[in-house]
Amino acid sequence: MSSEPILRVKDLTIDLLTAHTVVRPVDGVAYELSRRETLAIVGESGSGKTVTCFAPLGLMPVGVQADISGSILFDSRQLVGSDNETLRSLRGKSIGFIFQDPMSALNPARRVGRQIAEVAELHLGMTARAAETRALELIKMVGMSDPEIRLKQYPHELSGGLRQRVMIAIAIAAEPTLLVADEPTTALDVTVQAQILRLLKEIQSRMDMAMILITHDMGVVAGAADRVMVMYAGRHVETGPTERVLSQPQHPYTMGLIDAIPRKQDAIGSRFRGLPGIPPILGAPITGCAFMARCGYAVDACGERRPPFLPTAVPGVSAACPVLNIRAKECA
Amino acid sequence: MSAILEVEHLVTSFPSAKRGQTIKAVNDVSIHLNQGEIVGLVGESGCGKSTLGRSIVGLEKPQSGRVVFDGVDLGSLSGRRLREARRAVQYVFQDPYASLNDRQTVGEAINEALIIAGLRSQTEREGRIAELLNQVGLATTVRDRFTRELSGGQRQRIAIARSLAVEPRVLICDEPVSALDLSIRAQVMNLFLDLREKLGVSCLFIAHDLALVRQAASRVYVMYLGKVVESGSSEEVYRNPSHPYTQLLLASVPEADPATERRRNPPLITGEIPSPTNPPSGCFFRTRCPLSVEACAEAEPVSQEVSSMHKAACRFAGGLFAKRVSAA
Repeated sequence: MSSEPILRVKDLTIDLLTAHTVVRPVDGVAYELSRRETLAIVGESGSGKTVTCFAPLGLMPVGVQADISGSILFDSRQLVGSDNETLRSLRGKSIGFIFQDPMSALNPARRVGRQIAEVAELHLGMTARAAETRALELIKMVGMSDPEIRLKQYPHELSGGLRQRVMIAIAIAAEPTLLVADEPTTALDVTVQAQILRLLKEIQSRMDMAMILITHDMGVVAGAADRVMVMYAGRHVETGPTERVLSQPQHPYTMGLIDAIPRKQDAIGSRFRGLPGIPPILGAPITGCAFMARCGYAVDACGERRPPFLPTAVPGVSAACPVLNIRAKECA
Repeated sequence: MSAILEVEHLVTSFPSAKRGQTIKAVNDVSIHLNQGEIVGLVGESGCGKSTLGRSIVGLEKPQSGRVVFDGVDLGSLSGRRLREARRAVQYVFQDPYASLNDRQTVGEAINEALIIAGLRSQTEREGRIAELLNQVGLATTVRDRFTRELSGGQRQRIAIARSLAVEPRVLICDEPVSALDLSIRAQVMNLFLDLREKLGVSCLFIAHDLALVRQAASRVYVMYLGKVVESGSSEEVYRNPSHPYTQLLLASVPEADPATERRRNPPLITGEIPSPTNPPSGCFFRTRCPLSVEACAEAEPVSQEVSSMHKAACRFAGGLFAKRVSAA
């Protein structure tokens, strides 16, 4: 993408401090995102993909303190170290959010129309009346049938797919420049998933938004993302254009993840391909390569220092594995 | 092969919030499971697949129909004899974080299941715990760890070991890997394949992940709104889906190939599953079906034979008038 990035993340490290422990869910992550572009962040639970996006904006579980270092430039504003006031003015306005489970993200005791209108009142300074009109427009925009009736309903009266559409309406109410969608279709059925992904892409092109799609589903990545960043144990291990990363992965973890997807050619009753071992438990930062214990290509040197993240032989693709990327090693 | 488990015309309903109305979550379903077979049960949330599984093991009470295990109608048994018969059919729950007690060690968790299984001697139980851990692919050293210290995949293995404690012949697995991380799903799936091979355990595999079911199961049932709409060998159902719902379901699964995804223009199912309190007349799928005609509203579709082992409940399935849903 040639246009100026709207989001530029560099060396982002997040330590979370709870009453008993310190963990580092994000360890030196870097990426960029341009307008109209969709970046998929892929990783397993505990890989830090959600914390990477939410902690810098002050969104964290209660009782946790975050120690954030590095740099996040959003629209040439530095988010790391910004005060709560600044972050609050960004959240929901310039940056919209969609969460995995719409039922727990919506207020069960208020009508959905009010919940959408509230965003327009808060961020666009609309009067209650104008905001109601705006809510109706948004309900129509996200493709809900009987919009007038829907406005007056409570979340429990809606199906999962409709609730997620309400979430999307809330997220785009203030016309954000960046939309962060955390597993937006994981809780939905596959037929509804297709509808929601299509809707997100439509809205994105209509509003010129940049989008971060947090997911673990390579099918969703393939259908919706321009670029992909694969995370493992709080680090980015591979980034690049979606079609290249999915067809010619350059990091053993990405290879394993893609290889593990059942294919149509696989014989019925045949064994499943997967990765050996288990993901590391979140804790102290790891000295060498975090994937070493599960990696078939590992050499002794992998345990000594963190593998550098460098361009590979595949154009546009960078990976943190010097063992598989000889050229990368020569450059280093 | 003989059927180890037969479900005949099962109906399970729940009272609705509106007085006097009921929701038929399972609506006249007949399925069977052969000895040593893995059978898939797929469908979207709310289609009744979990309720069917729970009705089979007695976690829900069916209104009518029969559950026949090894030739014996479970409805004809009661008390101790029913409990004994039920032991042979065990349930594996979706979420291994919710199905295990955090305050127990692995050994305690399995030991508890063995006591319920009636194994009196502590030494015998110790030996059996080691054997079970081995069967589910865990080192015996995890015995003294607390279940909360283990990863999701390990916890699901413990939950499976507990189910195996009573030497069941059938496992009803309700989304057993959907709470697990991608990279370890294959390990647990392979465990089910191993258990069938080594112990001859049959599995009813309830899942929404169609690709997973295709690879693991020899036969598959597709459910929609409390009814089985299509059934057959996995090979046939996936190669030649004959109910419009199955066709749309299979076409909706995104593939991890950007080239395919770009070319693909999946026929979209419009709308969502209708409320089971007030299902449409005639064919339940007609409100979302691109092929529906007036006659679909009049009578419930009769199951059509696509081939000897493959049936679909749609007037357009099989035979001279076979129709397919085309891309939008």
